[in-house]
Amino acid sequence: MNIANLSTNAVKTGKIALVGNPNVGKSVIFGFLTGRYVTVSNFPGTTVDVSRGQLWSGGQKCELVDTPGILSLYPRSEDERVTRDLLLREAPDLVIQVTDAKNLKRGLLITMELADLHIPMILVLNMSDEARERGIEIDTNRLASTLGIPVVETVAVTGEGMAELRRLLPLAKAPLASVRYLREVEAAFDRIQTQMPEAWQKNLDSKLYAKSRFVAETLLANDESIWHTLERIFPVIEENSRLKAQTAVHAVLKDFLRPIHILTLNSRQQRAIEISGEITQITGKLKSSWAQKLGAWSMRPWPGYLIMSGILYLMYEFVGVFAAQTLVKILEDGLFGKILNPAVTKIVELLLPVPFLQEMIVGPYGLFTMALTYALALIFPIVSAFFLFFGLMEDSGMLPRLAVMLDRMFRVMGLNGKAVLPMILGLGCDTMATLTTRVLDSKKEKIIVALLLTLSVPCSAQLGAMLGMIAGLSWKVFALWITVVISTMFAVGYGASKFIPGARSPFLMEIPPIRIPQISNILKKVRARLVWYLKEAVPMFLLGTFLLFISDKIGLLGIIKTIANPLVVHFLGLTEKSTEAFIIGFLRRDYGAAGFFVQAQNGFLNPRQVTVALIVITLFMPCIAQFFVTIKERGLKTTLAIAGFVMTFSIAVGGLVNWLLKTDLIQL
Amino acid sequence: MTSQKKYPIPSSAQEDLEEALGIIFHCYEEGIREKKAILAMIADTVNSEIYPTLLQRGLVFEEDGKVKLNPEGQKLAAGITRRHRLAERLLSDVLALPSHFIDPNACQLEHIISEEVSESICTLLGHPSQCPHGTPIPKGPCCDRAEKSVESIITSLDKLKAGAKAKVAYISLQNHPDLHKLLALGLIPGTLFSLHQTYPTFVLEIGETTLALEKEIAEKILVRKIEHQERY
Repeated sequence: MNIANLSTNAVKTGKIALVGNPNVGKSVIFGFLTGRYVTVSNFPGTTVDVSRGQLWSGGQKCELVDTPGILSLYPRSEDERVTRDLLLREAPDLVIQVTDAKNLKRGLLITMELADLHIPMILVLNMSDEARERGIEIDTNRLASTLGIPVVETVAVTGEGMAELRRLLPLAKAPLASVRYLREVEAAFDRIQTQMPEAWQKNLDSKLYAKSRFVAETLLANDESIWHTLERIFPVIEENSRLKAQTAVHAVLKDFLRPIHILTLNSRQQRAIEISGEITQITGKLKSSWAQKLGAWSMRPWPGYLIMSGILYLMYEFVGVFAAQTLVKILEDGLFGKILNPAVTKIVELLLPVPFLQEMIVGPYGLFTMALTYALALIFPIVSAFFLFFGLMEDSGMLPRLAVMLDRMFRVMGLNGKAVLPMILGLGCDTMATLTTRVLDSKKEKIIVALLLTLSVPCSAQLGAMLGMIAGLSWKVFALWITVVISTMFAVGYGASKFIPGARSPFLMEIPPIRIPQISNILKKVRARLVWYLKEAVPMFLLGTFLLFISDKIGLLGIIKTIANPLVVHFLGLTEKSTEAFIIGFLRRDYGAAGFFVQAQNGFLNPRQVTVALIVITLFMPCIAQFFVTIKERGLKTTLAIAGFVMTFSIAVGGLVNWLLKTDLIQL
Repeated sequence: MTSQKKYPIPSSAQEDLEEALGIIFHCYEEGIREKKAILAMIADTVNSEIYPTLLQRGLVFEEDGKVKLNPEGQKLAAGITRRHRLAERLLSDVLALPSHFIDPNACQLEHIISEEVSESICTLLGHPSQCPHGTPIPKGPCCDRAEKSVESIITSLDKLKAGAKAKVAYISLQNHPDLHKLLALGLIPGTLFSLHQTYPTFVLEIGETTLALEKEIAEKILVRKIEHQERY
């Protein structure tokens, strides 16, 4: 931020943070205020990272920060910690708290907590249309005067109330919570506050001193992670003052029979209930809408499993058949095969008279004829279709219901229903899915999901290529492939849950209501994801193709093929050319699958080889990008362990299947 | 012989007496009847002088080197055991104390709690059948009454049927991270909710919040069933 440099006289309203419960519309409001799109969905915990954008308020440029949803400022999970740390470390000048108007009590709980931070704020009652529909009337003026802050009712998805919100920004004030805490609890806070490092006490008027009560409470909630944050603000926290505070915390905690954070939560909750009781009126009860009925049905075994199977079938028809077969055929054979590739070949031959360069661009390993054709004719339609479908599931609220239905299945693998988000998203892109493992509760679950994404979840691009290989073969090939992939996934998940230390966390999740998805939001989301995906993927295709081209030219390809021969040709029983597919499979698994697809299309593979190829390339490492993201999320050691296991396992299973098929126990 | 008491709290003769009866009751449950073993146990936890008093008062008698309880002694012994185990449940479930606090405190409480108070505690806890360590709690008159009238008992959420309405009584997750989360999600004592379904997971509706949770958590949420007439 260099506002200060630009206009030193202006009142500083440099940084604004959007804070609130999960799934109340923070990201939509962020989009409205900044004009920047961030992923918006109807699945709690989608914003796992902080997004930043710019906003003009009163002739000044401000930075607006969107934070992950929280239940409380005393964090219980990684994403909640992100929000807490941001509020302390970046000390925003203004907070916009977004709440769900029909669920005000829970929002007010956070308002009560924010009051301890003494940051000027505005309260946004979002989804006020839904509240009105349910006959919930809120006296916003009274709420504003009770809390001493501006309050605005909005319907973010339609933009209602956004102008009012902008107008209110300069009027933000620090809220008055007037929570009555137990006397003993107040005394405990005082006791800790006096033991805080001296540096904070000297700065009596600093923002941090005002927050030391908040720090005291965090420490009393046994959350030592706050030290890490404080060290960033105050580079020198003397070891002995830290010890002093810690000793005081331990002494105080001994005096309390119940956890202090539960006592304070109770006091705040009482106040929140009091306030919401004073200002809300329920006029009449609405009969449950069709959306609520559908939402209820889709979580019950009957007809829930039927609805879920129906959705999966639709997904197969839309992504696997319509996009991966019909659209791909039109694009690959038609647009690229008949028009673009011949045209580009002509142009290149005319403009570049060097055979080496010509071959590099339009040859069998050509950057255009192989890499771009593949990226645009094959990947593009399939991935778009998948993201479109996934967006519908997310925004309608079906995905959390799928989590309820699949919870029992995930239990076998030491996970719970929450793992549905990364696992299904993995069917779109494993790299993106690995990033969302942050919504999971424990480290153990994050590792298991990272492992299963690497091993068993093929991305949509790869699925498209593989479904193409299966088309026209016996149903047994498909059945064998899916049986092996799913059974190894459960077996490995079960084994990992026993092997990786730590306990499985029980399923506890808030289920958002069923909503009619906003097509414009879905399209924006698909676009954002596609751009992200193509940026990740296309350079990798080009790089992979280029490496292949070069190794072919200098003869390296031949050498590698000879070395890999015993493994690929004898153990797996595949063709010699398959080595190429594996080499590019290291960069991107889907590209590897496409290599097999081309071989299968040209009739180089028999049904046994197709089956083995399908299984090995499904279980293989997804791609370089996913590998790096896993390192970032889980660390190098874990990632290398996962990679080592996956490589050995995929080839071993492939060898086993090859042997099994050769014995003619199963006739394909 | 100087007795080393396990919990050095000031005790009156009456408390020692109750304590000793409690020990005999516990020995009975374990199948120990031999005078030698019982005396050693009493000397160990109360003091050795109390035993003659028990004989004198006609609360116990001896037969073939075995100690037996008279009807009067039996009644007192069951009462003190009941109060001790109810106190344990109260301390562990409602006050969520750590386990090392429970026993010493329960040892004090059992002597203070009157018959009426123990009935109230028993009702509040939903007439529990076992103490936190798993030994049975002797039944009181209130338990028999409760068995006859089925309504308004506290039970754990996982025992409710789909469609039931209930109020949260208390949550017995001790200092567990999920406790904070449940409370922050609005599942606070006194809150009315309806149980939407029990399979594949439990799903409850609390006002405008829909919550899915597993049995593991559901069985820690103690609830009071709502009769059909009652409104909130």
